[in-house]
Amino acid sequence: MNAPLSSAPATAPEAWAINVDHVGKTFTLDGGKELKAIDDVDIKIGQGEFVALLGPSGCGKSTILRLVAALEDVSTGRVTVEGSNPTALSRAHRLGVAFQDHALLPWLTIRDNIALPYKVAGRPVDDKRIAELLALVGLSGFEKARPRQLSGGMRQRVSIARALVLKPDVLLLDEPFGALDAVTRRHMNVELQRIWSEQRITTLLVTHSVEEALFLADRVIVMSGRPGRIIKEIQVPFARPRSPDVQRTMEFHHLADELTLALEPEGHH
Amino acid sequence: MSPVSQTRSPLDWVKTAISRYWGVVGVLIAWQAWVTITGVNSIVIPHPINVVGDLVFNPGVYLANAGQTLFLAAAGLILGMALGTMVAIVAWSSRILSGILVPLGLIFSSVPVVALIPVLARLLGYDVKTVLGIVIIISFFPAFVFTAAGLKSLPPGSSDLFKVFGASRWTRFVHLVLPSAVPNWMIALRLSAPPAVLSAMLAEFLMGKSGLGFLFRQSATEFATERAFGTSVIATVISVLCFTSAVAAEKFINEKWK
Repeated sequence: MNAPLSSAPATAPEAWAINVDHVGKTFTLDGGKELKAIDDVDIKIGQGEFVALLGPSGCGKSTILRLVAALEDVSTGRVTVEGSNPTALSRAHRLGVAFQDHALLPWLTIRDNIALPYKVAGRPVDDKRIAELLALVGLSGFEKARPRQLSGGMRQRVSIARALVLKPDVLLLDEPFGALDAVTRRHMNVELQRIWSEQRITTLLVTHSVEEALFLADRVIVMSGRPGRIIKEIQVPFARPRSPDVQRTMEFHHLADELTLALEPEGHH
Repeated sequence: MSPVSQTRSPLDWVKTAISRYWGVVGVLIAWQAWVTITGVNSIVIPHPINVVGDLVFNPGVYLANAGQTLFLAAAGLILGMALGTMVAIVAWSSRILSGILVPLGLIFSSVPVVALIPVLARLLGYDVKTVLGIVIIISFFPAFVFTAAGLKSLPPGSSDLFKVFGASRWTRFVHLVLPSAVPNWMIALRLSAPPAVLSAMLAEFLMGKSGLGFLFRQSATEFATERAFGTSVIATVISVLCFTSAVAAEKFINEKWK
């Protein structure tokens, strides 16, 4: 893994898988009031790098992800993905995404939900690939089930399988396990780590969990409250594939303390 | 519906039937007792037994007319729902058209059916075409309103998902928007099915030359009260059947869809 640091020597923007170049985003609220969600955010993510964006709720971290997913437009600065406008990547069906809301279509079976990206892209459905992914997320045998028959954790695994099915260049995860209980969430993190270590897709994860960020990412970026700014960045030293035991090491605890401290500005506790 | 075990003896069925329908039986017995005791002229109120007799011994008359009413109601329902769905889709696809269609549909549907029938009869003729037209108009509006709302009630997060997947407007429509409207469409079907039968009968009653509504008017004017009551019984049975089958269809679809 030669994950580039953002402090690495300046290179052409095309060298980055994701380049969030001094971006600001202002929303106009009802009544004309302006809300600055993020201010001068600069994030560079290398090919095959897993970056976690950590911050309190409402710090604009999801906004950054939505900018990269071409769901919002920047107010200032520029976002490029694989060297071009983010829209180009989604039009080429090379973007994978999993939100906190699993967004599975209730009228489709699990198999058909995972096959949906093929249908949207107008490509023939590759059943072998779907079976492979179902096995990867531990849901073989659930092909014919419907989303409402599955537990919350299982639905999120389906949504991750769906995000991966077209072998995307970039994977965007917005609190994919945010709605799950602590035990299931830890379990899902272990699985996601295993899945990711097999695929190594450039990934941007948005989370407010310090442990989740540390366990999954190569690099953790901490953001401040509104307007969102980058206040800290650390390189995660653990080798891959990571076993859950990593979370019990002293080093993990030290890093977790460091990040937690960064998340809580003085006087606020 | 009820937590019933798989094996049910005939005795249980009888018990259930009695517990549910004793009221109906009671009314029939009281009715029969009343007409027998007071000796009211059968032109005013027929004997329930005579009504049953007319139904049993003249099935052809009822069957032919009920068949026609049911056919017109079903055909009108299908055409009206199809039209309502199409207009809802057109309104969905264009904000300008939506601005014209929604108020127009609202005004049109506010006109009472009774007022529409003579106008439509003059336009289409005093026959089944007008009956069909009335049922289409009656079925159109619920289909339009509910489908229009359904096309906008997408599952949470799915709209963003389709954008990220780079879906075209057409793919989005076929794979997301249209299926999202199905549960609402089933509500429209459930709401429209009984009024479809009712409005078909009303149109037949006012200007028709055949069908259940006509049969009722004809027998009432000829003081054939047994026939008139028999017609009412058939009409009630058809309405109840239409409603319960629409409810069953809605339940079946929702199990797959939600």
